[in-house]
Amino acid sequence: MRLPRSLQGRLLVMVLGLVVAVWLATAVMTWIDVRHELDELLDSHLAQAAALLVVQQVGEFEDEDHQIDAPSLHHYAPKVAFQVFHEGRLALRSANAPAQPMLDRSSPVDDGFRTIEIDGTTWRVFATRGGARDVQVFVGEQVQSRASILWAVLRSTLAPMMFALPLLALAAGWAVRQGLAPLRALGRAVEQRNPQALQPVVLKDPPSEMIPTLAALNGLFGRIDDLMASERRFTADAAHELRTPIAAIRAQAQVALGATDDAERRHALRQTLQGCDRAARLVEQLLTLSRLESGASPEMVEFDLGALARQVVAEVTPKALARRQDIECRAGDRALVRGDATLLSVLVRNLVDNAVRYSPDGAHIGISVTTAADGSVELSVDDSGPGMTASDIERAGERFFRVVGNGQSGSGLGLSITRRIADVHRATVRVTRSASLGGLCVMVRFARGTGI
Amino acid sequence: MRILLVEDDPLLGDGLRAGLRQLGFLVDWVRDGEAAERELRAEPYGAAVLDLGLPLKDGMDVLVSIRRAGIALPVLVLTARDAVPERIRGLDVGADDYVLKPVDLHELAARLRALVRRAHGQPQERLCALDVVLEPASRSVTRAGLPVPLAAREFDLLHALMLNAGRVLSRDQLERHLYSWGQEVDSNAIEVHVHHLRRKLGASLIQTVRGVGYLLARDDPTPP
Repeated sequence: MRLPRSLQGRLLVMVLGLVVAVWLATAVMTWIDVRHELDELLDSHLAQAAALLVVQQVGEFEDEDHQIDAPSLHHYAPKVAFQVFHEGRLALRSANAPAQPMLDRSSPVDDGFRTIEIDGTTWRVFATRGGARDVQVFVGEQVQSRASILWAVLRSTLAPMMFALPLLALAAGWAVRQGLAPLRALGRAVEQRNPQALQPVVLKDPPSEMIPTLAALNGLFGRIDDLMASERRFTADAAHELRTPIAAIRAQAQVALGATDDAERRHALRQTLQGCDRAARLVEQLLTLSRLESGASPEMVEFDLGALARQVVAEVTPKALARRQDIECRAGDRALVRGDATLLSVLVRNLVDNAVRYSPDGAHIGISVTTAADGSVELSVDDSGPGMTASDIERAGERFFRVVGNGQSGSGLGLSITRRIADVHRATVRVTRSASLGGLCVMVRFARGTGI
Repeated sequence: MRILLVEDDPLLGDGLRAGLRQLGFLVDWVRDGEAAERELRAEPYGAAVLDLGLPLKDGMDVLVSIRRAGIALPVLVLTARDAVPERIRGLDVGADDYVLKPVDLHELAARLRALVRRAHGQPQERLCALDVVLEPASRSVTRAGLPVPLAAREFDLLHALMLNAGRVLSRDQLERHLYSWGQEVDSNAIEVHVHHLRRKLGASLIQTVRGVGYLLARDDPTPP
């Protein structure tokens, strides 16, 4: 059987079903018990009546066929019949007794109880013989009368339940409804709140069964609230960071418009383009960061981080050479890591770009990829630039944090993107003073088999 | 009008300097808070455009310390910090105007002119002395209703004298009003400009205070 979908319906069906089952079992047991007792009692009455007839009729059967004429003393009497045979002849019978013997008289063992059918009516018959064996007595009783007694007894048991059941259903319905009220209250509380309202749901005296659910729900609200707050902060930060490049583009464009000589106009237009590139780069970084924060799982494959580092360094080298910087890449073969190649190339490029950008002309930059004995792979980017103060190192990687006075127009997003990418790959990032070159050193360590 | 521009972003600073120069301002540009404070204490700028997120010293701190030092020049804060509490704080610690990036160059120039005008107690943009009228926005000068063509430096000199009408300005002060960094100043440049102005606008407009400097008499609007 399919239970109803509502909890209230389910509880009602189960409670009422159990009540009905218990009650039916009681009725069946009562029926069995009463029938047994009734049979014993009435059978003993039959036997007693037969014994009386046997005793009374001895010596009184000289006359011909004394039909009937036992008086009908009770309205129950028609349901009881008897026959008395004397030396094979029917000597006496009640009015409602048939003329034929109720039992086959020739049967040698026909004393005792028998249930037979005569003219469509079922009788319970007791047969016995007198001590001289010439008198035979049959006393019968219609079985139907027993059934009606039984039924009367059962009816008095069942009838109150018949009336009680609908009342019980109503009462149980009310009780279940009351019991489930906190659940409905929770439903209403959640349903009515708007998506911005993420404060915990508070129910007055919640039942103990609901406390785990409530705690889980409130925990979820808390996490969503944090997520939304960080999204809002991110949007605000992003809008804020875009203001300066846009202001620069606008100012340069207006300068170009108002320029009176060609060289001035060209300079302003070149600056405008540079501003556009910068804004585009910032937007790209913001999107990368936003994608990383959204938690979409990247595609993890095994590849050679050393090869990736060499490729990135090759791309960045012209920029470094233009500033007479000395850039060196020491990457061993087969430094295998599991990860998303696109994301990891963004990571490596950010680190190398930063080193080139924030180191002065003529600086040294070293990139190395090494595999340790335990199978972990470490990427390290060192430079001989000005480095960072301890407090700056602490803040490095915060969104939009920039070291002041570096004269470069960065967005302050590079290292926070690097950190996010490292997090996604379960890699650790350490920013320290470079031991080899004296400037900044950023190390990213991929444990063996990292990246899920 | 000599302006100090304080902006650490190279691209924006370059654009603002070029744009304000086109609109007739003399612009000196510094990129950090400490340099800004040093310059503001040393030079007679007409006004300053101040970014807030600056290296070495935050723009807000620069503002607080120059106001504490009694420097009253008009300061226009130009920033990306758009939160209302920040704007309120900026104005409360002594900014005369608070403008969000990005800004239109012409609007920026107009706001600077308005700040300078108010700082000199002028109710309106136009400056008058005798029959000479100077319009800072269009950088035009008329005498008795007729336009008088002036060289840029002559205009700036006249503008400085008219803004400071009734006060004697030394030759040195005038040079610093007229020349931004790195511009060659001839030893007699001011005398030459004054000579030209007298020729074009009449000898009585600018008086020489011997051994001290020059004076443009305050034009008393109420007849005696």
